[in-house]
This record gives sequence, C-alpha cells and structure tokens, in this order.
Amino acid sequence: MNMHEEKEQKLSGLLESLPQKEVSEGFAERVMHAIEGRRPGRPVFSEVKKWVVLCLACFFLAAVFLSDLPILPQLEITQLAGYRRVELVFYSPSQSPQTVAVAGDFSNWDYVEMEEVGEDYWQVTVQVKPGRYQYAFVIDGEQWLPDPLSPRKVADGFGGFNSVLVVNGFKIGSSL
Amino acid sequence: MTEKTDREIVNEVLQGNTELFQLVIYRYQKAIFNYIYRMVKHRQEAEDLAQETFVRVFSKLKRYDHTYEFSTWVYRIALNVCRDFFRKKKFFFFSLQNPVGEEEESEFADFIEQESFCDPDGVILNQELKLEIERAIMRLPVKFREIIVLRHIDGLSYEEIANVTSLPIGTVKTYIYRARKKLQEDLKRYLE
Repeated sequence: MNMHEEKEQKLSGLLESLPQKEVSEGFAERVMHAIEGRRPGRPVFSEVKKWVVLCLACFFLAAVFLSDLPILPQLEITQLAGYRRVELVFYSPSQSPQTVAVAGDFSNWDYVEMEEVGEDYWQVTVQVKPGRYQYAFVIDGEQWLPDPLSPRKVADGFGGFNSVLVVNGFKIGSSL
Repeated sequence: MTEKTDREIVNEVLQGNTELFQLVIYRYQKAIFNYIYRMVKHRQEAEDLAQETFVRVFSKLKRYDHTYEFSTWVYRIALNVCRDFFRKKKFFFFSLQNPVGEEEESEFADFIEQESFCDPDGVILNQELKLEIERAIMRLPVKFREIIVLRHIDGLSYEEIANVTSLPIGTVKTYIYRARKKLQEDLKRYLE
C-alpha cells in the first residue's frame, strides 16, 4: 500500500470513527404529536402557496389587459443605444430664408428639415451617437452654408466649408 | 415474530394505522438525526429539523415511490429539509473564521464520557482530533458536506447517494474526491 492509499484509508477511518449521537428521550412521541397537530386538514402556507401565486398572476394579467398599464416598462431606447439628442440651431437675420435644412455625416448628407421656431430662428433635434460629424445648413434648398454660430469649420472639398459637430460620450442632451 | 418491512409499515400507515408510523421514526431517528447534526452542528436545531423531516415523510407518504429504497427517500427528505434550513438562514457556506461554539465543545465532552473509539491504527483518538475532524467537515461547502456525511458517516453507497441527492454517480464521485482532498489538507498533520 502506498502512502497515498494509506492516507485515504486513515481519513476514512477517522471519518467513520466519529461518534453517533442519540436523540433526546421522547423524540418519536413529539414527532407523532406534531403530526397529529398538523392533521386536521388545516392547509399550511406551502400548500396554499401555489394558489396564492396563481391568483396574483391572474390579477396581474387582468390589470395589464383591462387597464392602460404597460406590459413592459417604457424605456428610453435612444439612451440605451448610446444615442445623444443634439439640438441644432440656425440663426441668420441677414438671410431670412423660406426653408432651412441641415445635412451631415449623421444623416448620410440627406436633408433634415428644420422648424422655424422664431423670427429667423430655425431649430431641429437630431439623435446621434458620440463622435465627430461634419454638417452644413441648406438654405432654401440650394445654398449650402456652414453653421454661422459654430467656430469649428473644415474645407468641404468643393471650395466651401462644413461645420464640425463633436458629440461626446458623457453628456446626454448636449446642444449647440 | 419477524419484523415488518418498511414497505409493510408504509402500506399499513396509508390504510389508516397511523400509530405504526412511530416504528418508522424509531427505525430512522438516530441515522437521520446524526446526518442532520453533522450538517448543521447544533443539537437543538438538528432535533427540530429531524422532527420536520419525519413530519414531511408522513405527509408525503402517499407520494412515496416504491421503486426507491424507503431509507433513501427518507434521507432525501432530510437533505431537502437541511437545504431549506440553510436557505432560510442564508449561510450556505460556513465562514472559515467561525469559531467553534461553546456548546459544540461541551457536546464533545459527552462523547468522550459515553464511548471510546479507536482510529485504524488502534490509537485512541483524543478530543482535539475529533474536534478537528468536525471542524474540517464543517468547513466543507454544503454540497460537499452533504455527500461526505452520507458516504462516510451514514455509510451510503454511491448509488444511494446519487438517489438521495439526484446527482449523477460521476458527480457524486467527483464531489467525494474533492471533499476528501480538502479534508486531507485540513487534517494533514493527523494523517502522516
């Protein structure tokens, strides 16, 4: 027998040699008494638990279907997906345009119509992920202008300029 | 007169002779109490849990599946009672820092007076060694403790343990191997 087997055998011996305890006197009688005490058919909580759960589930379903309660909590998807809401403003009293749109990397350079919210004051809110974007305003559908309120500009490759929008990853609802 | 088998007793109890259930208690009280005591290491709690085990055995008797050994089924209920107890107490794993309580120490004194026992080499185990074994068992995670107690203290076979715990035999063997390894580390100085 090698040393390992010897240790194994010793351990078994030690474990099996632990003394057995005796239950206290009258144990069986006390158990029988406890059994008698539970027998008259009084339902214990564990037995009615499933009915309680079932009733609560029915109540919940009824509340969902018979009321305006949402089945799932309403979540702000844009925040979950990492989007930021950015408010773009165009203000140029000298232009007095009929329509103003914005186009940029964030819209694949498609026009996003802006709303005139005051005299010569146009506004739109876009949802973009944090990053660096070029954009420009489109006045009356034909004239491209960089943002007059933004100092950040880069050449657009056509002899003009685009403005630069930087959206950081920390702030929600940053605006220009 | 031959002793009634467990199955005969169960059938008679189910037919209305509920007093006969006391025979079941007498037959298994020591084994079940000792199993639970090794799990919770507290005499009064062990006795309460043993009582709860037999009450559950009685109340579930109609559902007893005769393809299992009755003793295995009783152990399974005891194991579930212990698990419920640990869940409620929220101490599934005993802290390594837990000191051995005074009660535990004094209970050991009772053992010494009542019985003497020997290790495989024939050397009388002293109180300190027994205490160390108890502590080592209590330091095992519950899932290992359950199995090591069933195997080495209650003497169940691998198959019986698998039935009691609803674990595959392979897992039972792995748990026993790992538990024994841990016990060997803890009891190193007594095994050399």
